[in-house]
Amino acid sequence: MSTPGISVLNGKYMATMDLFPQQSKEFNQIYPFYEHLKDGRFTTTRCKDCSAEPFPPRLLCPECYSTNMEWIDWPTTGTVLEFTEEVVGVPLGFGKPPMIHALVDLQGKLSFFVRIINCKEGELKVDDQVKLAVFDVDPVPQEFGREIVEIPRVCYAFEPVK
Amino acid sequence: MDRNVCVVAGGMSQWGVRDGSQRDFFQEAAKACYDDNPHLNPKDIDGLLVASAYTERTSYQTHLAPLVAEYVGIKPKNICARVELLCASGSSAIILAFGLIKAGQADVVMVAGGEKLYTPQRWEVFYSELASVDHDWDGTQGLGLPPPAFAMVAKQHMKQYGTVKEHLAQVSVKNRRNSAKNPKAQFQTPVTMEEVMSGRMIVPPLTLYDCCPITDGAAAVILATEEKAKQMTDKPLVYIRGTAQASVNNMSANMPNWTTWEALKIAAEQAYKKAKVQPKDVDVAMTHDCFTISEIIEMEDLGFCKKGEGGPFVGDGQNDFGGQVPTNTDGGLLGCGHPFGGTGIRQAMEVTRQLRGDAIQQVPGAAIGLTHNLSGFIAAHTVLIYGREVA
Repeated sequence: MSTPGISVLNGKYMATMDLFPQQSKEFNQIYPFYEHLKDGRFTTTRCKDCSAEPFPPRLLCPECYSTNMEWIDWPTTGTVLEFTEEVVGVPLGFGKPPMIHALVDLQGKLSFFVRIINCKEGELKVDDQVKLAVFDVDPVPQEFGREIVEIPRVCYAFEPVK
Repeated sequence: MDRNVCVVAGGMSQWGVRDGSQRDFFQEAAKACYDDNPHLNPKDIDGLLVASAYTERTSYQTHLAPLVAEYVGIKPKNICARVELLCASGSSAIILAFGLIKAGQADVVMVAGGEKLYTPQRWEVFYSELASVDHDWDGTQGLGLPPPAFAMVAKQHMKQYGTVKEHLAQVSVKNRRNSAKNPKAQFQTPVTMEEVMSGRMIVPPLTLYDCCPITDGAAAVILATEEKAKQMTDKPLVYIRGTAQASVNNMSANMPNWTTWEALKIAAEQAYKKAKVQPKDVDVAMTHDCFTISEIIEMEDLGFCKKGEGGPFVGDGQNDFGGQVPTNTDGGLLGCGHPFGGTGIRQAMEVTRQLRGDAIQQVPGAAIGLTHNLSGFIAAHTVLIYGREVA
């Protein structure tokens, strides 16, 4: 890998320029979310004391401030509340325009923005059903002592339920 | 005894796609600020707050405040630090400076904000914008640049309240007409309804003129105690009457409502209460028109019109000169551009001029002025109220 203009960085990994979060336990205590994703599960944390289900997953319950959290499965399908197709401004790493963005209601849990993949331009409609889609992204070359180990990573988007 | 706080000077560099570096723009802004008030001796400044969001990413520079102090020729003895709240960094710094002065921690504080956002390769700033939202969650969905989120806000507002594309376009036409008269603005030409309505598609329903640009540039204001202000200026005093900043969520999953901005309503209510004014008392406003739809929702949630009536309010020119509350009289973000840390300070400058009575496009007799910023994915809202008299 070459880095034009900064020869000293040739071959170096830069966390500060990484699109995706760290997913190893050394760098992220909610790494189980990503382990679950690899099994096709969309999970968050539930507070064992007050039953709150905050998303994104937490170490600290934002309702009762307990740290007594457990992992639970959330639905992997949802309904499109609104969407748009981005023609200009798609950031590097997200393919050719248009990029399809949607506000998806996850079966009454919460609604949030997701990227819709495996969907043709003009195909998505409000009220469509979409489902979780998990894919591999670049592994992180992480240092362990003098060794560098590639940590595999995944990311999620949603895709139309055909 | 209450320590009242006044704005005693303000100035900005040329904004736009600029030749130069972040530190160049801070010097230009400081020079304009010093020139705005020749009675003020910069050596009397005892505090500096610097507002910049992308200094680490696009200028590879942390510990920015002492650097700026050195370059603008001041030696703060009470506070010298940077403040970051992305698009509201500037207003946040003004609120903090106000609080420090009120509390007696400093007497004369410069608040300077700005950015160098255009890098030698333009992909970098757009890529870095993925850090503006919750990077691990919304960012991994390709969100960061705000147009898609605001496009979905606009679609929902249109559906719920009957807002139409023409309402959006009118905001752009107004603010570009105003920026064409502001020599420091990024856009020096007005645009017509026809041009705006046929603008290039960015992300439906938002077209080119619905979106503010990103911008290189800086701005600075100087705040002082009322006592010092009286010694430092022969212009009418402009007081900060009340401020508030509210956040109820960050990641999109925790946004209570996309078309009624709860955090804005909270911040506005708090600021009005502290300033002892009501929405109807506001004579001039600078609101965060990062997108045309933003200004429409802001008119509603700041209480200038009823919920859902922002479209017709704008359509009727109620946010223009001669209307209920002339808004973004210097061109706003759509016309002046948006160097994140600089924007709130640019707004403070324009409101100060309006209340002093020496704005380029003056609102006759303006006595109460308001500024508003939103930041992140509409995740925090900042409201400041200024007046010709103390609250």
